[in-house]
Amino acid sequence: MSLVDFLQTWIIAFFTLSLFSFLYKDNPFYKFAEHIFAGLSAGYYVGLIWHSVIIQQMVDPMLQDGRWWLIFPGILGAMMFSRFSKNYGWVSRLSLAFVMGNTAGIFLLSELHGKVLPQIQSTMLSVDLKQPIGDLVLSIIIIAGVITTLIFFYFSKEHKGLLGGAARVGIWFIMISFGAHFGYTVMARISLLIGQVQFLINDWIGGTLQALL
Amino acid sequence: MKTTVPIIIAFCSGFIMIITFFLNPERGFIGRLEPEVLNWVTIVGGFTLLLGVVSIVRINYGAIKRKSENRGYKLATLIAVFAMAIPAMLPTGMSPLLGTQPGSIYDWLFNNLDAPMMSTMFAMLAFYIASAAFRAFRARNTEATLLLTTAVLVMLWRIPMGEIFLNSIHHSLPGMINTYVMSGANMAVQRGIIIGAALGAAAMSLRILLGIERTYMGK
Amino acid sequence: MILAYGLLIIAGIVLLYLAFKTGDRRYIYLAVAFYVIFPVLITLNLPAEISPEVRQLYEAVDSLPDSSVVLLTFDYYPSTLAETEPMSRAALHHLFRKNCRIFTMTTIPLGGPSIAERVTRELAGQYGKVYGVDYVNLGYKANYVAVLKGMGSSIESIYPADNTGTSLDKLPIMKDIRNYGDVDFIFAVSDNSIIDYWMSIVNAQYGIKIGTGVTAVMAPRYYAYLSSGQMTGMLGGMKGAADYEKLVGKPALAAKGMAAQSLVHLFIILSVIAGNLIFFIEKRSRRREGHR
Repeated sequence: MSLVDFLQTWIIAFFTLSLFSFLYKDNPFYKFAEHIFAGLSAGYYVGLIWHSVIIQQMVDPMLQDGRWWLIFPGILGAMMFSRFSKNYGWVSRLSLAFVMGNTAGIFLLSELHGKVLPQIQSTMLSVDLKQPIGDLVLSIIIIAGVITTLIFFYFSKEHKGLLGGAARVGIWFIMISFGAHFGYTVMARISLLIGQVQFLINDWIGGTLQALL
Repeated sequence: MKTTVPIIIAFCSGFIMIITFFLNPERGFIGRLEPEVLNWVTIVGGFTLLLGVVSIVRINYGAIKRKSENRGYKLATLIAVFAMAIPAMLPTGMSPLLGTQPGSIYDWLFNNLDAPMMSTMFAMLAFYIASAAFRAFRARNTEATLLLTTAVLVMLWRIPMGEIFLNSIHHSLPGMINTYVMSGANMAVQRGIIIGAALGAAAMSLRILLGIERTYMGK
Repeated sequence: MILAYGLLIIAGIVLLYLAFKTGDRRYIYLAVAFYVIFPVLITLNLPAEISPEVRQLYEAVDSLPDSSVVLLTFDYYPSTLAETEPMSRAALHHLFRKNCRIFTMTTIPLGGPSIAERVTRELAGQYGKVYGVDYVNLGYKANYVAVLKGMGSSIESIYPADNTGTSLDKLPIMKDIRNYGDVDFIFAVSDNSIIDYWMSIVNAQYGIKIGTGVTAVMAPRYYAYLSSGQMTGMLGGMKGAADYEKLVGKPALAAKGMAAQSLVHLFIILSVIAGNLIFFIEKRSRRREGHR
């Protein structure tokens, strides 16, 4: 391990353990690491946008390819900063409207075409009376689950009578799904911790021992 | 005027995307307009990200100027912002340490400070979820019992030791959990949620395009 | 080793008891720390069955003709590297071995381009792949909805240059590649709901096969897309990454992490059961006192 790698590993370990120290109690090391983290994350955006947007998407195409009209989205983007002004804050609405309208236009069709229709189609086509009994039971579970879930989230009518009964069944399905989510979420959180512990043990302690011995 | 013009811009911007959905981008003026409009949107979107940075700098600078408590930490935040931003914006030709390419100060600070700290922040959640599992998750009623039972089964199913244990009860139990729980009940609920959310998103999109929904404009 | 793991389980029960007695949650934190550190120190290789959705993704990628064009996305934050980086690495092993031409991109502003750069260059070096000829990192552009939509018309309209600023028309890999129509497969690795938009905007309109690697938090949601056929296979969390590493023949960090994962899961199951037992015992004694 070179000296640079050794120092690098120790710096990473210092900040990692500073953040973990919060589990014992709040302390200056944790606060310091947290504030450095916030600053670095904000600074990262600046470098990224400078290169990937301002230079690559505006300056270079304008100067090298003669696409002078790209100054207009730049002006629209700069207008966003008018939000910090009390008197001229409304100017940022123009940029926001451009982006929001564009996204709304894409979503209007893609949500229906790409999510609603395929999912409904898949639900409707899942039942086939000729399939084995296990698959048929599964198809019925799926249809019942989809319909009762949609009924549960329908709040325009009071959940009474048949609607109320269906909503109740929907809750049971939802609880099963949330239980599955919880099980997977536990796995996710543990995995992240395992990653950090692997670094501390293999790279920090292991690397240090290797360097010293 | 301050509301009407943005509504018109939103409508025109969205309408172009709706029309070009049905047109070949290689033919016709409207079809060729789509990639240009989308390019403009990505440029404007980039500036939006900088808003957060400006906000952080303003707030922290204000706190330091007012000599508020913990101003030392706020100064550390500001130093970190500029330590990352300034070398990244300078031309690479001046030094290989400048710019954003591998080997630069920007790249080093990200890979050795920012990324590990972000990983650690989220790794701490593992402790909180274990603590919550012991202190808060109670089978108080039928629904909670259903949730907890499913959670325990799924947690067992996803680990090798658990798979061995479930196999010992019945060899098809892991397969049945995958089929009837994950690809059955869970999938059905997620499908219902996807359909519902997508219908809601489509409705909201229509409201934005028609100018009925204006909350995105703020006050 | 059985004795060591047995002692560990007893330690966990003792710490749970102390947490209950004193009400101090730090005993639970200590137990979790033991259960994660111990298997990292003393590795235990456990046999596991490969999930069907992982096998589906593996077979989809394996059936691609050599030199296919694949778009590999790094749509994840550094916070979930432990789950998602093993997926990206295993995918790159698989794709480089098949001599696929790889485009990497990201829709995540915080860290995505740097992670993509680091991981692809490291693995490309192992296979002797040349940047600009065998693979390219397109980098990041803002507003992911516009990016996903725009690449359907023209990749160059959204990405005039790669992550290093080199104009795309100067790169040999871009010859004959204009938009999604020239891409054979998309391997999207993500830790957020961008996958929904890959499905609704890209797969629905352009019909390209999309396989995904997602964190365990997101995985249960995407069974709906698997079932409808919109998604061609899925790696779910560290288990999915470990399965894929095994299939690709490169078991690495994800596979090694499964022992720790197993122990902590068992501890949490024990916590839930213990917590509920205490709850019911206290409830019954309160009821008895109420009757008196």
